[in-house]
Amino acid sequence: MSSPADRSIVVENLTRCYGDLCAVDSVDLQIDSGRIFGFLGPNGAGKSTLVKVLTTILAPTSGRALVGGHDVVSEGHQVRSLIGVALQDVGLDPLMTASELLQLQARLFGHTPEAARDRGRLLLERVGLDDVPAEKRVGAYSGGMKRRLDLALALVHDPAILFLDEPTTGLDPVSRAEIWTEVRRLNRDQGVTIFLTTQYLEEADRLADEVAIISRGHIVAQGSPEELKREVGQEVISLVFAEDEDARQAEDVLGQLDGSRQLAGRELLVYSAKAAELVPSLVRRLDAHGLVLKGLSLAQPSLDDVFLRATGERMEEGDDSHLGEKVEP
Amino acid sequence: MTEALLLIRRSLRVALRQPAAIIPNVAISVFFLFVYNAGLNAVENLPGFEGSYLAFILPVAILSAAVGGAGVAGQELVRDLESGYFSKLLLTPAHRLSIVWGPMVAAAILLVGQVVLILVLGLIIGLHSATGVPGLLMVVVFAFLWGMAFAGYAAFAALRFKNAAAAQAATLAFFPLLFLSSTFVPLEFLDGWLKVAAIINPTTYVFEGMRAVLMTGWDWRDVGLGLLVVVGTATLTGALAVREAVRSTRLAR
Repeated sequence: MSSPADRSIVVENLTRCYGDLCAVDSVDLQIDSGRIFGFLGPNGAGKSTLVKVLTTILAPTSGRALVGGHDVVSEGHQVRSLIGVALQDVGLDPLMTASELLQLQARLFGHTPEAARDRGRLLLERVGLDDVPAEKRVGAYSGGMKRRLDLALALVHDPAILFLDEPTTGLDPVSRAEIWTEVRRLNRDQGVTIFLTTQYLEEADRLADEVAIISRGHIVAQGSPEELKREVGQEVISLVFAEDEDARQAEDVLGQLDGSRQLAGRELLVYSAKAAELVPSLVRRLDAHGLVLKGLSLAQPSLDDVFLRATGERMEEGDDSHLGEKVEP
Repeated sequence: MTEALLLIRRSLRVALRQPAAIIPNVAISVFFLFVYNAGLNAVENLPGFEGSYLAFILPVAILSAAVGGAGVAGQELVRDLESGYFSKLLLTPAHRLSIVWGPMVAAAILLVGQVVLILVLGLIIGLHSATGVPGLLMVVVFAFLWGMAFAGYAAFAALRFKNAAAAQAATLAFFPLLFLSSTFVPLEFLDGWLKVAAIINPTTYVFEGMRAVLMTGWDWRDVGLGLLVVVGTATLTGALAVREAVRSTRLAR
């Protein structure tokens, strides 16, 4: 299909409310053609709502969004012909087979019956579903297979811009890695602009050229993963205590020491350029005040630290540490 | 136009993969035909009744099939909403009219199959059509259009409630339509509130149109009025369903 020059996404002061609650509140974004953009935030932060507005499923309450140079409200038809979308909840009819779904999708995008058949075969091969019995209905697919088929459906018409809403949530590590490979390939070989939402910090870190972090409808940080992490500081010391109160006391006790601090429950984080040198004096001081450490670690800042610094909260408990554990059957 | 045909074909294919949703509907309509005909055919002997009671009651079996058949359209939309496939279709260039009407037309086509079966059974047990085969075809046309009208309402309920049980419950509204009418005896035999209800009820005019071709001949007043009612109702409920699809998703244009 044609390769339109403009594959950018521009969001200007966009708000989308449900009643009194604004899931997306005054958001501005500029995503250049051919980039992989990671949109990061915990559950319920407003990621899916923004994707639905950008993909013309929901109309914005106010503000403006241009996708591939077209307004999502007044030029929805043009936008839809440019974009491929795989929403968080895969949209597949369980009573149909993979090739029926792919062929119908291709026909609806204007392919001839023969072209639709070829396209279906090619995409099944590309997402690794070509060895599944053709008569098998999608209802009998595993979670990972459904995701891959959903991605194939989004690619039927060679979209210039691809929206992936939490494409790997709930997938096992192998399926996740396969999706990542395909996302990189589409971006590198076909120049597809990719708008990817995720609650996995690691995913945004590995895939995205640029990241925005959203919390409660607002963008709280934006930049390349490296830039964002640099802003947090050079190194992070994590001090874990038995009680929240101990962590609070420790924050006071360590007040005069070098580096900035961030409290998160019973964990106290100390950001410093010379973290390793700081550790001995830090431990001595805690000891002198009778504060017992349950754990201590030293690490490079992650996007989680960026999120914590921006919002004062950790991303949802265990989003990263649970990678691969919430596996769908 | 191609997209509409593609979506109708898809709906038909999917509906036929759930025969359990269709077979009981045919069975109950056939049951109505036999039971009402056997139990009430003494109406034939009442002064003022002309023709065969079998031809009189057959439209009731057909319209009761239309009630259940329409539910198929609602169920499919609910399934698509629940699976998220509805959103996927909205993201294609397909017109929303095709996306909503696809399941409705498919339900009406399936209904035609059921109606033909009922007509064949009717012929076997002695049905005689006053207008011959063209009249039987007209009965099929009535059934198709009334099926579309009911399916539009079922689709509207599905899109409004987005829940299979609620959409199913909404189709219960069909029963007063089916029975507060000249269902078992001619309109002239009715009296009081039931007669008022029957005169207001559009189903009455569908019954009258079908009965005209089966029992008396090409009475264009009855047939025309019946056709006007089914086309009008189908257009109205179909438009409501499309409006509901637009409203509930608050789509950008």
